[in-house]
Amino acid sequence: MSLWVDQYRPRALDDLHYHQGLSARLKSLAASGDFPHMLFYGPSGAGKKTRITCTLRQLFGPGVEKLKIDQRVFLSPSKRKIEVNIVQSNFHIEITPSEAGNYDRVVIQELLKEIAQTQQVDLNAKQRFKVVIINEADSLSRDAQAALRRTMEKYMSNMRIILCANSTSRLIAPIKSRCLLMRVAAPNEDEMQTVLAHVAKRAYFDLPPEAAQEIIKDSGGNLRKAILVLEALKMQSPDLTGPLSIAKPDWETYCQKVAGLIVTEQTPARVMEIRAKFYELLSHCIPPTVILKTVAEAVVSQVDETLKAEIMHWAAFYEVRMRIGSKKIYHLEAWVVKVMSLYKQSFYQFDISEFE
Amino acid sequence: MAPSQKPNKSTGSDIRSFFGGSGSQKLRPTSPAAQPVPEKKPVIEISDDEDMPSVKNASPSKPTPRASLPSALQNKPKPAVAPRKSVGAIVAPMDVDSDDEPVIKKRKVASALLSSDEDDTPPKKKKIARKATILSSDDDDEPPKKPVASGSKPKPKPRLSKSKKDDDFIASSDDEEPAPKKSAPKPKAGPSKAAEKRPAPNGKSKEEPSKNKFNWAAARAAKLAGPAAPGSKAVPDGAPDCLAGLSFVFTGELSSFSRDESVDIAKRFGGRVVGQPSGKTDYVVLGDNAGPSKLAAIKKHGLATLNEDEFLNLIVTRKGTGKLDEKTLKKMEKEKEAIQTAAKEMEKRERKAAKDTSSKAIDPSSQLWTTRYAPQNIKEICGNKLQVEKLQQWLKDWPNSLKSGFKKPGKNGMNVFRAVLITGPPGIGKTTSAHMVAKLEGFTPIELNASDARSKKLVENGMNVNNTSLDGYIAGGREKDGVTITDRTVLIMDEVDGMSSGDRGGVGALNAIIKKSKVPIICIANDRGAQKLKPLIATTFNMPFSRPSAQMIRSRLLTIAFKEKMKVPANVLDQLVQSSQSDIRQVLNMLSTWRLSSDTMDFDEGKTLAQMNQKYTIMSPFDITNKMLGPYLFSATARESLGDKMEYYFQDHSFMPLFMQENYLKTEPSSLRNYDGPMRQLKSLELMDKAASSISDGDLVDALIHGPEQHWALMPLHAVCSTVRPASFRYGMGGHYGSDNAFSFPQWLGQNSKQTKLSRQLGDVQIRMRLKVSGDKSEIRQSYLPALFPHIVRPLMDVGASAVPEVIEKMDEYYLSKEDWDTIVELGVDQQKDDLVLKKISAATKTNLTKKYNASEHPIPFYKATDLGKVPKKLPGGPAPDIEDAFDMDEPVEEASDDDKGKDGDDISKNKLIKAPKKKAAPKEKAPKKEKGGNK
Repeated sequence: MSLWVDQYRPRALDDLHYHQGLSARLKSLAASGDFPHMLFYGPSGAGKKTRITCTLRQLFGPGVEKLKIDQRVFLSPSKRKIEVNIVQSNFHIEITPSEAGNYDRVVIQELLKEIAQTQQVDLNAKQRFKVVIINEADSLSRDAQAALRRTMEKYMSNMRIILCANSTSRLIAPIKSRCLLMRVAAPNEDEMQTVLAHVAKRAYFDLPPEAAQEIIKDSGGNLRKAILVLEALKMQSPDLTGPLSIAKPDWETYCQKVAGLIVTEQTPARVMEIRAKFYELLSHCIPPTVILKTVAEAVVSQVDETLKAEIMHWAAFYEVRMRIGSKKIYHLEAWVVKVMSLYKQSFYQFDISEFE
Repeated sequence: MAPSQKPNKSTGSDIRSFFGGSGSQKLRPTSPAAQPVPEKKPVIEISDDEDMPSVKNASPSKPTPRASLPSALQNKPKPAVAPRKSVGAIVAPMDVDSDDEPVIKKRKVASALLSSDEDDTPPKKKKIARKATILSSDDDDEPPKKPVASGSKPKPKPRLSKSKKDDDFIASSDDEEPAPKKSAPKPKAGPSKAAEKRPAPNGKSKEEPSKNKFNWAAARAAKLAGPAAPGSKAVPDGAPDCLAGLSFVFTGELSSFSRDESVDIAKRFGGRVVGQPSGKTDYVVLGDNAGPSKLAAIKKHGLATLNEDEFLNLIVTRKGTGKLDEKTLKKMEKEKEAIQTAAKEMEKRERKAAKDTSSKAIDPSSQLWTTRYAPQNIKEICGNKLQVEKLQQWLKDWPNSLKSGFKKPGKNGMNVFRAVLITGPPGIGKTTSAHMVAKLEGFTPIELNASDARSKKLVENGMNVNNTSLDGYIAGGREKDGVTITDRTVLIMDEVDGMSSGDRGGVGALNAIIKKSKVPIICIANDRGAQKLKPLIATTFNMPFSRPSAQMIRSRLLTIAFKEKMKVPANVLDQLVQSSQSDIRQVLNMLSTWRLSSDTMDFDEGKTLAQMNQKYTIMSPFDITNKMLGPYLFSATARESLGDKMEYYFQDHSFMPLFMQENYLKTEPSSLRNYDGPMRQLKSLELMDKAASSISDGDLVDALIHGPEQHWALMPLHAVCSTVRPASFRYGMGGHYGSDNAFSFPQWLGQNSKQTKLSRQLGDVQIRMRLKVSGDKSEIRQSYLPALFPHIVRPLMDVGASAVPEVIEKMDEYYLSKEDWDTIVELGVDQQKDDLVLKKISAATKTNLTKKYNASEHPIPFYKATDLGKVPKKLPGGPAPDIEDAFDMDEPVEEASDDDKGKDGDDISKNKLIKAPKKKAAPKEKAPKKEKGGNK
C-alpha cells in the first residue's frame, strides 16, 4: 500500500477540497479550447501538482494518468553528457530542468523545440496541443528562461507550457507576462481539517479534532506534511487519543541542536563544531535556506525579546547573500558568528556594533 | 543598524586597521608637518602610569587635587577587578586613558585644564618637547561617575551617552593605529611617538609591580608603550663600518623596526648578528616581549643591553674601525694580504695558460666568470673539503680495489663501492669537484648529462660513448668514435635525477652497469630522496654535499672581486651569498653582470640586486596560511604592503580562500593581547564577526568572477575580501602543526563532492518515486524520507529479518531498489545517521534483505539510458569451464578464429552477442565447438 498522501490524492478537479474558485476557473479554461500557458505558484504542500494533474485530466481524459518515465541524454556545448529524466504520457511531458544544473538551457532549447515541432499524433485526442510541464521553474537559470521566451510564443499552436514554482520572484518578467498566473495558496486550518477528516474516512478510522488541530499546527500549511504526519501518528498510537508527540523529522531535530549550540556557548571552537554540523546537513541534501530558517527560528525562541528582531534581520540578510553566492556554508557561518556576537553583547548589556 | 549602513561603516573605519602597519606608515608623513604647532596646547599628563616619570621631572606642584583623583580611583577598584566584576566597572577605567577622544571633547577639557595646569607646562616641555598628545584628558569628568558605576550598580547606566561609549571602544580596540587616527581629526595633536617612546623604558620598570595587580592598568601600560610607530624613526647615517667587530643579538619586538630591518641595519654597518646571546656577544638589543631564555642568558653573561634608541645612537656615535682592537685589525690585514696573493696567483696562472696553448687557447676575458674562476685545485674548492678528499682517496685506491674485487673497505669504507652518488643543491660545485678530482688523479672524465639521451637501451649500449663531454674528446681526439674507455676513465653521470620519462629504464640500466663496472662511476643528483634514485642507494656510496657557509665563500669571492678590480665589501658579499642560498655560481653571475655597469657595490645596491635575482619559490597553501595567520605578517612593524599580502593569495587563488575559511578560527588573535575577561570575549567575537562577514563578501565576489559574466578583473578584490582581510583580523599565534587545532586542509572540497553525490542519488530516488509522488527532490528529502523511514528501515532495526518481506513490499510500492534503500539510509542525519542506523541492523538481516530482494522480481519504472548500452550482468551458476579441455584445444582455436572470420562474416554480430556475456574462459571452450560445427 502506498502512503495515504499518494493513495488518497484527488484525481479530478471536482474532487478537490479547497480553493473551489480556482478549480472552477481551471475547469472552464479546460473547456474553452483556448487554453493559455500557465504558471502555478505557491508554497510546497499546497496542491500545485495535484491541480496540474487534475487539469490535464480535464483536458485530455484519463489517458494522462498513464505515465512512463524516460531518461534522455543531452550533450552540453563542451560535449558533456547530461542526463535528464522525463515523465510523459501520450498528451504531456514533464521535465525538471534543474537536474541539468548549469546546462538547463540546453535541455530547454532542444527538448521544447523537438516537442513543439511535431503535432499531436493521436487523432482522437481532445486537444490539438500537447502540454509541457516544467517543474522547479524558479530554479531555472536566466539563460534558460530567456530560451523559453520565444518558444512560448512561436509554438503556441502545438504546445502549452505549465510552469510550476514556489515563488515567482526569480522568474523574469517576460515569462510571467506570457503566462496566466495561478496562485495556489496554502490551505487554511479549516480546509486542512476537512482534508484530514476525508483521509481518515477513506482509511476507515476516526480522527479526533484535537489530534487534527495538533497536526495542523505542526505542519505549517504544508498539507503533504500533515497527511504524512497523520499516518505516522496513526502507526504510533492507533487510537490517536491522549497527548500526542509529533516526531520531528531527523533534519529538524538536528537544526534544533545547532540552535542550542549557538546559545549555550560563543567561542571559535563552538563555531567550528557548528560548521561541521552545517556541512553534514548540507551534504545530506537539506537546502541551505531551509537550514537557516529552521535554525533561526529555533534560536529566536530561546533568546531575549530584544534580540529577536535583530537575529531575524541578519538571517534575512545572509539568506539573500546565500542565494547570490556560491558557497553556502560561508554565509551560514557568518550568520552564526553574527548571532553569537549579538548574543554575547546582550549578555553583557553592551553594544559593540554602535561603536564602529 | 540598517543593513545598508553596515558595509560603509566597516570600510570607513576599518580600512586602515586592515592594511596593518603599512597603512599607518603611509599616513604618517602628514603629521610631522603639524608638529611645531602645539605651543598653544599645553601638554597635560595625568595618566596614572605616566605620572611616575612626570612627577620625577615636573615641578612639585604637579600632584594637584585633580591628579590625585585618578590615583584614588586606581586604588579603589583594586579588589573589584576580579573577573566577575561588572562591565560597567571595567569599562569605566578604560576611559582614563582615552587619549583618542574626539575633537570636541578634547577642546572642552583642554580649556578646562588650561588655566590650572599652566605652570606645569614649561618644565614638561623641556623633557617631552615634541610631544603633543593629551593624555587622560577628561579624568576630572569621569571619576565622580565611576565609583557609582562600579560600586552601586552592576549594570552601567543606560543613559551613558553613546558618543562616550564610542570613545571607549576606539580607545580600547585599535591599539595599532592611534597615530593616524589622531592626526586625521586634529592636525595639532600630531603625535610623535618617537618622543613619547623615550621615557617609556624608564617608566616601564617602575610599572612592573603594578602590572600584576591591575589588569586594566597593564592593558593601558601596554597600550601606551605598545603603539608601534613603524617607520617613525629614520635610520641614522653612521660611518660605513661603525659597528665592525661587534656582535649583536636581537630579541623582542622593536617599536619602529621589524626584526628583519633591524638585523639589516646592524649588518649594513658592519655588525655581526647572531641568534643566541653568548659570552662573546657585545650587545643585546632588547625590544618588547623579549624571549625569557634570552633574558636569562643576558643575566648569566652580564651582557650589555640596548634599547632601540640606544642602538640607533650607537650607530651615530661610534666611529668606524678606529676603535677596533689590535687583533681584529691584524686579522683583517692578514685576510687582505691573502686575497691579494691569491689574486696574483690567479693572474699568473691565466697568463701562463695563455702562453702554453697560445694557438688554440681562449682569451680568458671572453669566458664566463664561472668557467674562468672555476677552482683549479682542491684548495680552491669552497666547502665540502672532507667529501672532496674522500672522493680523491677513492679514485686513488680504485686500481687496488678493482684488483681485490671490491672486498676491502679501505679507510673510509668506500672501496667496496664501484660508484659514488654526490647529492646537493645546485651551484655548490658538485660537478666541478668531480671533474677536478678525476683530473688530479689522472683519470679521463667522461660526462653524460641530461643533454644526452639515457634510456635503457642507450645506457646499455651507450658505453661506447659517442656523446661525451668535449674535454675528453679533445685530449684524446684521435679516435673517430669519441673516447675509448680505458682503465683510466671515470664515468660521470651528471644530473641523474634528470633522467626523465624520455629515459625510460635509464636508472635501472645504470644501476646494472654500476654493479659490474670496471671503471669508477660518479653519479650526481640534486635530491637524494627522489623516488627515481631508489635503486642507486644500495649500490653507490652516498656523498652529500652541503651548502658552504658565507664565510667559506667569502675569501674566494673577495679574491675574484679584487682581481676584477671591484670594490665590494665583505658584508655585501655575505648578503649576496645568503640570498642565493650559497649558490656560488649565481653569485658569480650576479657579480659579473654588475661589473658591466659599475665596479663598486654598497649594501643597499647589493640588497636590491639580491632581491632581483631571488629564486622564486612557490609556497604551499599550508605555508601561506601559516604565514598569513601567523603573528608577523600583520604586526605593526611588518613592512609588507597590501600588494605583497595579496600576492600570497595569487600564489594559489583557488585554494587560499578555502584554506582561510577553514582555518581563520584557529588562531589566538594578537590584537586581543591587551584584553581580559568579558571584554576579551566580546572583542574576539567581534573580530570573528568581521572576518566571517568579509569571507561572506568574498564569496559574493567569487560568484561574480566565476558566474556567467566572468568578471576576472575582480580578482584583487576577491583576494582582499576572502583572504587578506580575514587574516588581518584573526592573525596571531596558534594553529601550529601538532597542536589541537592545527591548520587543516579545507573540508569544503570533500563535503561538496559528497553533497553532489548524495544529491544525484536523491535524484534517482525521486524519479523512481515520481510515478506515485508529486514532490520534488527537496520535498522527498524533507518530508517523504522521514515518513518512509518507519516503513522501510525501522522494521529492520526493531524486528529484524522477519520484517524483510514487508519492507520489500513497501519498497516495490514506490519502485525503490536496494540501492535506493542504501541511499535513503545514507541520507539520514542525527538519530537516523547512516552508521547509527546500520549498526542497529544485524548483518544477517542485511544479507537477508539483499538476498531476498535479488531473488524476487520487482516493478521497474523505467530503464536508465546508461543501463541500456551496458553488457548485462552475467548470470550466476553454470558449469565451471574445464580448464584441461581448453588447454588441449588451444591450438585449433587459433586456426579457427581465422576461419571464422573468413567464413561467416555476417555471423559476427551474432557471435558477439553470444560471446559477450560469457566468462573469460568460456569463449575458449566454446570456440572450438563451434569450429567443429562449422567444419561439419
